[in-house]
Amino acid sequence: MKKSVIYIFLSLIVIIILIIVIGDFRSTRPDRMSGNPYKLNLDRIKSVDPNLVTYQETKNYRINARQAGGIAVAGEKIYLAADTFLQVFDYAGRQILKITLPEPAGCLEVSKQGDIIVGHRNAVALYSAAGEMKWRSEPLDERAVITALALKDGTIFAADAGNRAVHLYTAEGKYVDSFEGKTSIEGNHGFIVPSPYFDLGVNPDGELWVVNPGKLALENYTDEGNLRSYLENISPEIDGFSGCCNPAHIAIMADGSFLTSEKGVVRIKIYEPSGELSTVVALPDKFMEDGEAPDVAVDEEGIVYALDYDRNMIRIFEPK
Amino acid sequence: MKKNKRFNRRDFIQSSIRASLVVSVGGIGGLALKNSTGRDWVWQIDPFECNQCGRCATECVRNPSAVKCVHAYDICGYCDLCGGYFIPGAVKLDTGAENQLCPTAALIRKFIEEPYFEYEIDEDLCIGCAKCVKGCTSFGNGSLHLQIRHDLCRNCNECSIARVCPSKAIKRVPSDTPYMIKGSFTKTTDT
Repeated sequence: MKKSVIYIFLSLIVIIILIIVIGDFRSTRPDRMSGNPYKLNLDRIKSVDPNLVTYQETKNYRINARQAGGIAVAGEKIYLAADTFLQVFDYAGRQILKITLPEPAGCLEVSKQGDIIVGHRNAVALYSAAGEMKWRSEPLDERAVITALALKDGTIFAADAGNRAVHLYTAEGKYVDSFEGKTSIEGNHGFIVPSPYFDLGVNPDGELWVVNPGKLALENYTDEGNLRSYLENISPEIDGFSGCCNPAHIAIMADGSFLTSEKGVVRIKIYEPSGELSTVVALPDKFMEDGEAPDVAVDEEGIVYALDYDRNMIRIFEPK
Repeated sequence: MKKNKRFNRRDFIQSSIRASLVVSVGGIGGLALKNSTGRDWVWQIDPFECNQCGRCATECVRNPSAVKCVHAYDICGYCDLCGGYFIPGAVKLDTGAENQLCPTAALIRKFIEEPYFEYEIDEDLCIGCAKCVKGCTSFGNGSLHLQIRHDLCRNCNECSIARVCPSKAIKRVPSDTPYMIKGSFTKTTDT
């Protein structure tokens, strides 16, 4: 009698254990579910030959701001626009200057004399190296969204994503002209700017290079806005650009190479002046998934400064 | 001196029945009033929380799912190379099936003017798999996103998708604001 009770009791325990094990096995908890049949797998695009990556992150500085705007590097100083501030740091990360701006700035550029040109949503302003405002341009129309600035001799180029145009200003802030990248060539529709990523730069030879993000191309224009040449490689592979609008940000290096930052599959690369991929600075694993493309700047020695909007950091990448 | 009337058992039962009736009628009336004037709640996907896992297609009690892709045209770039329409590395930017990301061809590409294209969703074909949403979010402006269609949703007490949603993007929202469409719906940020 006693034995049979024990057998019944043990059998019950075995049944309960079996129910728990089978229940757990068949559970549909997110971590227990089978593979997702609809997953869009971007791993192949994100994985790259590690030998192509010749840079490593050496330092980073946290930014004390809610919304970072843009970054520039000149004269061994880092210039940062964030919230309604313009800040200048030395390479050790010590703050040298902090100016309060009348409104947030999305981009900035520094002249050889140390003057700082700041791009607000629809106006450009120039500050002396000491932080004194020298002039502010007349505001553009309501659609304007200035996203990048470049300097050449006495001309300031401002990329306006809202109007899909490049505006020209004199060194005194007087509006001169605009161009939209349109030509008589069939199939050339001018700048295609699907999102507020529209960058430009002037190379050491004084050539103006403008990103045509919708065409995934870098286009070289004369100062009058005539298309001279372009570089284009549409591909999700490491040597090309993909997505709706890339490269999101560029900077031009001392030898004329292009430093590019991409959105979507976030990565930083360097291209030869002729357009071939030269090296990879940072792969997507360095950034947050589906994060924002970092603004980039580069110094004379080829050290890359990336403004990571998602982590609120200035991240410094140096050659290995 | 007036003598107090004795409160007998019969009086007690009668009073209790009356009180119960009053409470019942009051309760039912209150509930009816609450139902007629109170807010109902429905399930909806917060597009800013969604991580495009694809479970909406497989876990909904409806087949095909009550979750459909919707398009916020005001934030679309009308791109030729649409990350939501084309597979990465598409051979050609045309409507060939081999180039399309959508497993059911529910995304329709329409030419507007050079070089712009409009993308429309055929909801009868859409299964809510979020493949296009992932592509658009990864490579584009994120104008394609998922929403629970309330003409299809059974508003289950416990949403079977919400139960497994890894990003907890499915939440109860008031029925008078049942959709969270990107563009018009803006994510509120904690300040």
